[in-house]
Amino acid sequence: MKIPTLRTLAAVSAIWAAVPPAHAQSAPEPATPVPNAPHPAPAEKSWRFGVGLGYGQRTNPLIQSEDIPVVVDLDIAWFGERWFFDNFDLGYALVDNAYFTTNLVARLNSDRAFFGKTNTRYVNFQMTSGGGQVPIVGPPSPGGGPGAGVVPPVELEVPDRDYAVELGLEMLLDGEWGEATLRAFHDVSGTHGGYEISADYGYRWIRGRFSIAPSIGVSYKSTALSDYYWGVHADEVLPTLQGYEVEGGFGWEAGLRTSYYVTKNVRIAVSANYEKLSDSISLSPIVAEPEVIGYFAGLAWQF
Amino acid sequence: MRTRLALALGLFMALQATAAEPPVRLNIKPLLCVLDKNATACAVTFDIRWKSVLAAEYCLIDETQPAAPLKCWPSAVSGETRHEKQVTQDFLFWLSPPSGTERVAEAKIEVLRVGSADRRRERRSRHVWDVL
Repeated sequence: MKIPTLRTLAAVSAIWAAVPPAHAQSAPEPATPVPNAPHPAPAEKSWRFGVGLGYGQRTNPLIQSEDIPVVVDLDIAWFGERWFFDNFDLGYALVDNAYFTTNLVARLNSDRAFFGKTNTRYVNFQMTSGGGQVPIVGPPSPGGGPGAGVVPPVELEVPDRDYAVELGLEMLLDGEWGEATLRAFHDVSGTHGGYEISADYGYRWIRGRFSIAPSIGVSYKSTALSDYYWGVHADEVLPTLQGYEVEGGFGWEAGLRTSYYVTKNVRIAVSANYEKLSDSISLSPIVAEPEVIGYFAGLAWQF
Repeated sequence: MRTRLALALGLFMALQATAAEPPVRLNIKPLLCVLDKNATACAVTFDIRWKSVLAAEYCLIDETQPAAPLKCWPSAVSGETRHEKQVTQDFLFWLSPPSGTERVAEAKIEVLRVGSADRRRERRSRHVWDVL
């Protein structure tokens, strides 16, 4: 399948950028008041602080890895007239009109997060009569027996990966039909040299104090990005880890976020997310699971 | 002797309970209106109930129309009513004597707007640790 190049996306975005903003960023349109409304809707604060306390986790698809526990989830964001900081994403609003908002955003690649929770394992090999080595299961037996030809243990370790700073464009759309986001990001830190394009859609229902928001999304990660994080490169090949080159491919995800608002600032939050990795990533020797499953349940405060 | 002790204990407990309770209690449901960003108002039917330790005349006031009480009760120790209203902002209900401005009990109705007209505030994070 042919993937649109970033150059094409940049050109499209430049056209958007040439269109003057239809309304100022700092003055969101207040809700239309009903006849007996006593006051206009209050202006939103520039800062947003939130914290979620509870229990949850994200599975780690890497071999010899630990799942990522989520006990505290902090939400820190600041929104200026055009600049904004949203949980380590730094952005600048290029275009904002009645139909969509386009932002230039710098972010850290999130694939790296999985590589911070890996372990090293030692594998014992046994010499065979043909001179080859085969891994043996269980501890080596001391002297004699089947362990006689055992060679020193070889470590099996998930290779290190660096964080990448990515710069890209995102287009936010919303309406009665829900919310959608289109994103295109490219590495600007010289870490992987690749890019990612994604699209997601979500809808939120509110009934009384309860809200439920399902979402779905699809993303394409380029060969350079996918191979840097999920491949086994020539200098990383071990007797325990065969080389593997990952090709670019599509992954998808689906999520569900529910809230019950106890007060104006406190809600009970329950969320779940499923992400399917691309086929090529799933076949990597350093990948044990082809998906990432996340969930969380707890209390969330918005200040 | 035992009877006197039981009576004294019962009286003490009753006094304790009375001391812990406010003289007039106003209970209103619901207290929170949750609005999506596209919605302008909640259409709410409030269930309003009050109880008083002493019988008295009270009027129910809506902060948005303070000049016209929603309802006044004759001397009583409790009362209840229902009130329909389009809610767009935080406001108060309170009970006052018919001939005074003193608020003997009040309840705040809050409006929570979920979502924002500023789309940047609605962007979904793709961070691994983000769960909310």
